[in-house]
Parts: sequence; structure tokens; C-alpha cells
Amino acid sequence: MDMNEIKEIFFQECEEQLAELESGLLKMNDGDRDPETVNAVFRAVHSIKGGAGAFGLDDLVSFAHVFETTLDCVRSNKLEPNQDVLKVMLKSADVLADLSNAARDGGSVDEARSRQLIRELEALANGEMPAASEPPVAKAAPAPKASAPAPAAPAPAVPATSEDGFQPIPFSFDDFDGEERPVEPYVPTCEVLFVPKRDLYAKGNEATLLLRDLSRLGEMSIRCDMDKLPLLQDMNPEEAYFSWKISIATDKGEDGVRTVFEFAEWDCDLEVRTIEDEPEAVAGDDEQPMQPVPFDLSILDDASDVPAEDEPAVFEQPVAPAAAVEVASNVVKLAEVPKVEARAALAASPAASQAAANAAASTAAAPTIRVDLDRVDRLINLVGELVINQAMLSQSVIENDNNGVSSINMGLEELQQLTREIQDSVMAIRAQPVKPVFQRMSRIVREIADATGKSVRLITEGENTEVDKTVIDKLAEPLTHMIRNAVDHGLESPEKREAAGKNPEGTVRLTAKHRSGRIVIELADDGGGINREKVRQKAIDNDLIAADANLSDEEIDNLIFHAGFSTADKISDISGRGVGMDVVKRSIQALGGRITISSKPGQGSVFTMSLPLTLAVLDGMVVTVAGQTLVVPLTAIVETLQPEASAIHSFGASQRLISIRNSFCPLVDVGRILNFRGTQANPVEGVALLVESEGGGQRALMVDAIQGQRQVVIKSLEANYTHVPGIAAATILGDGRVALILDVDAVVAASRGQPLKQEMSLAATG
Amino acid sequence: MKKKVLTVDDSRTIRNMLLVTLNNAGFETIQAEDGIEGLEVLEHSNPDVIVTDINMPRLDGFGFIEGVRRNEKYRAIPILVLTTESDAEKKNRARQAGATGWIVKPFDPTKLIDAIERVTA
Amino acid sequence: MASRKAAQKSMSLAPVLDLNEATALRDKLMALKGSDLTIDASAVERVGTLCAQVLMAGAKTWEADKRNYTFAKASEPFVKTMQLIGVDIEHLLAKETQQ
Repeated sequence: MDMNEIKEIFFQECEEQLAELESGLLKMNDGDRDPETVNAVFRAVHSIKGGAGAFGLDDLVSFAHVFETTLDCVRSNKLEPNQDVLKVMLKSADVLADLSNAARDGGSVDEARSRQLIRELEALANGEMPAASEPPVAKAAPAPKASAPAPAAPAPAVPATSEDGFQPIPFSFDDFDGEERPVEPYVPTCEVLFVPKRDLYAKGNEATLLLRDLSRLGEMSIRCDMDKLPLLQDMNPEEAYFSWKISIATDKGEDGVRTVFEFAEWDCDLEVRTIEDEPEAVAGDDEQPMQPVPFDLSILDDASDVPAEDEPAVFEQPVAPAAAVEVASNVVKLAEVPKVEARAALAASPAASQAAANAAASTAAAPTIRVDLDRVDRLINLVGELVINQAMLSQSVIENDNNGVSSINMGLEELQQLTREIQDSVMAIRAQPVKPVFQRMSRIVREIADATGKSVRLITEGENTEVDKTVIDKLAEPLTHMIRNAVDHGLESPEKREAAGKNPEGTVRLTAKHRSGRIVIELADDGGGINREKVRQKAIDNDLIAADANLSDEEIDNLIFHAGFSTADKISDISGRGVGMDVVKRSIQALGGRITISSKPGQGSVFTMSLPLTLAVLDGMVVTVAGQTLVVPLTAIVETLQPEASAIHSFGASQRLISIRNSFCPLVDVGRILNFRGTQANPVEGVALLVESEGGGQRALMVDAIQGQRQVVIKSLEANYTHVPGIAAATILGDGRVALILDVDAVVAASRGQPLKQEMSLAATG
Repeated sequence: MKKKVLTVDDSRTIRNMLLVTLNNAGFETIQAEDGIEGLEVLEHSNPDVIVTDINMPRLDGFGFIEGVRRNEKYRAIPILVLTTESDAEKKNRARQAGATGWIVKPFDPTKLIDAIERVTA
Repeated sequence: MASRKAAQKSMSLAPVLDLNEATALRDKLMALKGSDLTIDASAVERVGTLCAQVLMAGAKTWEADKRNYTFAKASEPFVKTMQLIGVDIEHLLAKETQQ
């Protein structure tokens, strides 16, 4: 694993944290005051900041830092997370997401917005804690080197003299001889008084290690004060009795000395002072003869090849590995050696460390695994092929063995059952909750609410409803447009709402649920509802309907799905964007879905989308039309019937109606519409499929014969050929032939010929 | 003998960075994702040093440190707090809980290794 | 230090003498109190301050009791750490281990 891979992990994690952040903030917005919710939100930002810092993503770090500071105020109850506060935070979450995306893909960020939010966040933080100005924004470390770490910077102090090759002679008072000392720069001496407290040891600090690190700063002499040490029977073995007085010649100064004690400073008394006198004075400095124990560094020098001529090696036996590290760190030229060795040791047994890491990982509960989507897609495709293959096998067995060996038939049935189960299971792998899409919508709502000056509350329900990932991916765009539309056109201004006796804050409710093998997504607003007069007038102006057309409320409402239809007097920058609800409708249809609207004046509108759970398979009715085999999606079919001559009524030149239980329904010859034949077939010789098309209107589709019902694997026509009007996709049937899947709504739309005007007058006669 | 480091952090990113950094520096690395798991892993790993995050779900760093310090067998293990919390209050709380030292994030590998070296023999 | 007629006892130190070992070490020493004692420190890999304190409190106690308290063998990390922290054990080392 290298740093780039970790970075990729970071961005994945970022996405998860951002989702966590947003859902937490939304919960808080709904009044959730559970500290764990606040903590989770805080952790999310905190975690993003931590990772971003490691990769030197400064913008992300700065923003996250300010955000985190404000969240910390909430966490510590210094700031009440009211709606205003949460509004800023939700916007901040959006900016954080933008910054994260920008860091990942190099996209741009609205810097003015980001700066503005930093100011707002800071104002929130400062509003409640006036004095506590935060330390300057954490500076990100430079991108860490992936390879070996550089030798530790602060601790193993290297005397300045090292650079000119001088080898420090261990400083020992016993054989101190000023005459023989090479000319070296003056190194000031620090005197240190170190009195540990009991807690120092209880917290895992260790005086021996602190003194070891101190000794690395330079030549030191040390005296241990044992006066407080009681007799064995009187002692508490975990109490601190020893204290030390140390003289050390170091160019690191008092700060360098204090740095050594950084972790321990609360748990000890520490005095550090620099002795200004020349080093000679140090030796004679001891007022009371301390019997200093010379700490002779050379005895530790086994690892070095520096000949210690003056100092005979005291210990000949090899040092323990831990000691070796310590030893060499004292030796200027070899300071890095032990680390290199340590790495070499690692290289020697990478498998061992990997095994350990794996073992550790396996102790963690692993309820999920991450799999490349490509692999799942491949599996789904293969299962699709399997389904086709199984169907072909069944068919050829039936065709070639009319006597029907029952065991083969039973086996085939079991195979079919099994194939179906495998397919369902495989599809379930790619099924995902709609939550991420719904969450994205809350941002859209915030943005448009801001832009329109409306106050909007988005309520989401059923966000754990699962649907195939391919559907989810294509859901965001139409939903975004619809949400914009709902806020921009659906909801009234706060003033108007108040005047109408409504809550000035509008509500948009987004729900998802499963219903009979499809996912139904509803978008409801509590706005003014469709202005039918306006819609009707507009439709007349645009020549969509006749001025005297008699339309039901439902029919009027559904006019908004017509191309080029926009009720806004001016196309607003927000929901207009040159596209109308017709685009939404088309994209929903492209997903094999349907969309309808119902509206109550003064109370709001509800858009209902019904979508297939997957774009990979389809339950279809296989029919024959003019010698061609077609598949009609089963979900579109209400019922099938055999028309009787008495039920068929001709109308006008080419229109025919069929009467079904006392109501009339336009008859549509699929073969004629698709140009499979030049003249209309005789309805009595065929079968009528009663389909429900957009807006709930029914049509009877005429086909020649029904072959049966079958689940088919959808093969995109666009991807393999080109878009064909009236055809949604293709599939491969059991006999290996390609069959086209009918786009019911498109066929119905095409059947209108000269569209609504005529149709509506028909409805009037019906 | 390789030193064994137990890291406790809920961030996948940081866990991976720790793993790479520590392995490169010749440590044996064991990882846990939160304080609860940290205490569980501790029982069968006997590390030489622990590096832990503060903000974690289930059991945070403070609770985890207290748990280690209460453990008769493992209370002597030095614990380094790895956190972006640079302010004195957080450090203080960690210290009171029994932390040995700390590393301020964003950690740089050198500082991390250095801090570990400082608290281990 | 002249040894009297008391029994000569010995004990070996554990490899790791840390916080956890301090109390146990004190208890072990207490159990041997009153006898001449030879301590084998040859297995010691790591000695912390708390155990160093216990060992030196032992030396002090034995001295008060006028008993012998000797490190018969000492590993290098043991001697080195004692030296590092300025605890002089020279006079406690058995002659043969001194150089």
C-alpha cells in the first residue's frame, strides 16, 4: 500500500463521513439533542480534518478546523444548535463536500462562499465564548514521504560539532583535562533538577527513558538523590523517591532540555537553568561534593566502529537490541544506523508483520466487504446470460422431446427456479438504499431555499428503501429538477403562506417505498398546488389543447409534463434552466418508470414516480405483432382481453375505440404504429392489452397473439445499436432470437397522431 | 526484537497511514478501530506501546486509556494519544486519564516514530 | 562486609522490571529480609526506576540489618541503566563481575 492508495481510502472515507455529517446535522435540525449525534457529527469533521492534514490538503484542513471548533462549542453546550446555527452548519457541510471533491478531482470551489461561511462559523464560535480565540489554523504537514522516515528530528541531539567531523569525546569529570580538549565551539551547560512524582510512573512514563533521551542532548553528568528512599518495609513500591540533578553541555538550550520532559512536565518538578560560565566552571560548580557518577557514553559504543582509544570497553558482551538503538543514537556519525537496521529487520520478515496485521484485522467485526462495482456488473451480466441460456435450453428440450421425459422436465424446472434465485441474489448485491440520493436532495433544497428566499423543510422517509445501483445513479437528476421545481414553483413565499394561514416554512416530503416489485418515490409539497387556470390557459396558448376542451382536473395537471411547458411566467434561473417537466418525465420513462401528479389547490402537489427495482431484468409479456416477437413490460399491462366485434367502434378516419365495461378506450394497433404493416389489423383476430399510460389514461394495445410471460434480460438498444422510437430495449429469447421490448408510453404517445386536441374531444364524446 | 505497537483509531485513512509508517520503521503493528476493540485486542497482543485516537465511537480515547490503566496486566504500557486536539484542555484530559504522551495530528512519520522511541525502552 | 552466621539466600531478577514488577519485587525481598542475599541480575533486559528504587531500598535495608546484599551477576542493560540514572552499584557488585 502506498500513499496514493491511502489517499484514495481517505477520499472514500471522506464521502462516508460527509454523509454521516449531513444526516447528523439533519437529525439535529429536527431537534435531536442526543449527545451521541453531536459527537458523531463532530467526529466526522474531525476525521476529515485529520486525514486531510496528513495529505497536506490545506484548504480542507483550514475549513474543517473552523467547522470543528464551532461544533466543539455545540458539543460542550456553549452554543445552542438552533435552526439558525444548523443552517450555517449544513451549508458548511456542503462546502466541506465541495472542498473534498475539489481536492480529489481538482474541481473548483466557490471561495467567496467558503470564506463567508468561515466568518459565520467563527462568529458562532466567538459569540458564545468571547475570549477563546482559537490558535491559528493548523498548518498541514508537508506530504509525508512514503519511504523511510528521516532520522528523528528533535530527540537524538547531534552536537553542532558533528558537522565538521569532530567526534565528541565522552565528557567525564574524572579524567577531565582542559589542555587536551580540541578547540571546539563553546557549548553552554544546563543544570537540570528533575523530581518525578508518583503519577509520572503511573502514566507509563519512565525516568530512565527521560534520562536516556536527555543524555543524547550532549555530555552529561548526573547525580541521583536517594535521600527520600525509605527502608524496604516502609516503602510504597510505586511511589517516586529518586530525584536527579544533572549537568549537561548542550547546544539545544533550555528549550531542548524541556522538550525531553514534554510528556512528563505535569508529573514532575523540573528546573532548568543555563550556567553562563565557561565549561571549566561547571566542574567546580558543585558546592557540595556530589560524587557525580560519570555517565560514560563510550561504554555504550559497541555498535560503533569509532575506536574508543581512551576508553577501554567496559563490557565486552553484546548489548541487547534495545540498548543498541540507544547506544548508537549517542554516536554522532552512526545516529541513523539502528533505524536502518530496524528497517532491514522488517524487510526480512514482511510476511510476519503482514500476518500480524491480518490477524489484528480479523479480530474486527467485518459485516461488509468492499467489492469493485465492475466485478458485480460482470457477475450480473453473466447471470443474465445464464438466464437466457437456461431459457434456451428449456425451449429446445421442449421442442425436441415432445414426449416429455418427466425427470428432464423436473430438472429443468428446478434449474429455472435456481437460476431465478441466483439472479435475485445477485441483483441484491447491487441494490442500495436511496439514502445517498435523498441526502443530496437536502443540499439542493437548502440551495434553492436560499436563492428564492423561501424557508423550506425537507422531510425524507424510507431512505433505506433499496433499489439497483443503476437506477439510483439515474435518479438524482430528475429528482433534483423536481425538488427545484417544488420549491421554486410549488411553495409560496413565506408572506403568502402566512397570509393563507400556513406555516411560513414550507414542507417538501420525499418518500420511498416498495410496492409490488417496484420502487415508488413520492415528492409532496404543501404549496399552493397547480394553478389549473394558468396551466389551462398556457396549454391553449401553446396550442396543446383546444380552447373549449373539457378536461378533468387530473388531465390539466398532467399537462405540465408536455414538452416546452413551463408555468413560470419567466423562466427562472432556478428551476427553469430551459428544461421542463417533460424532461423529467422522459428520464423517468427511460428508466422504465412512470410519473404522475396529483394536486389540491391550496394544499400542494404530489408527484409519484414508480420505477423498476432494476434495469437489468424485466418481467414481460411476449407477444407477436406482424410476425415479429415483442416484449411488453408486465407492469404496464392492466389486463388482456379478446375483443369481440360488437365492442369495436370506429371513429373518424382511422380511430377505433373498444368498449370495456361501459367505458370507451382508444384502440392502438402496435403493428401499425411501429410500421410493421401498412394497414390496421382486424382487432377481432388479435388480442388487446389494456395498458395504463402516463397520467393514468388507459389504452388498448392491439397485438396479434400472446406467446407467454417471461422474465427477460434487458439489453440496451442504445448501447448496442441506436435508439428506436417506440422501443425501450431489446432482449434475447429462449430460442436465441432477439426480441424488442416495447416502450408503452412512447407507443401510446405516438398513437395520438395529432395529439391532445383530438384526443380530448374524443374523451368528451366518450 | 521488534517492538509491537497497538494503534486504536476509527479512521480508515489514519489506520492505514499508521500501518505503513510503523511497518516502514520496523515495528510490528496491531490495529483496533475503537476503544472497545482496543481493549479486546490488548488482551491477546501485549504491545510495547499503544497509540490511540481520542474521538472514536463506542468508547473514546479517554475511556480506553482509563481502561488500560485499570488493567492489572497492561497498566504499565505507555500510551500515546494521536489526535488533532492540540489545545491544552484535551491534552490535560488525556493525561489525567493516564496518557503517557501525545502526537499532534497531522502526524508526520518522523514525529510519530520519535514519540514512540521516547516512551519505549 | 563480614558475613555472620545467617543463612545465605539468593534470588534472581525477572527480565522486565517495570511498574508491574515493583510490588512483587518488594515482597520477594521482604521475604528474604534478615539473610545475606545474593541477587542474580543476569537475566534483566529492562529495569525501570521503580524497581531500581526497590532494589536500592533493599540495599539500604540490608545495610541497616548489617547483612550482605550483593549482585552476583548483572546483565549489561541492568548495569548500564543504573549507571545512566546515576545509581552507583559498584560497591554492591560481586568482585568477579567487576572489571
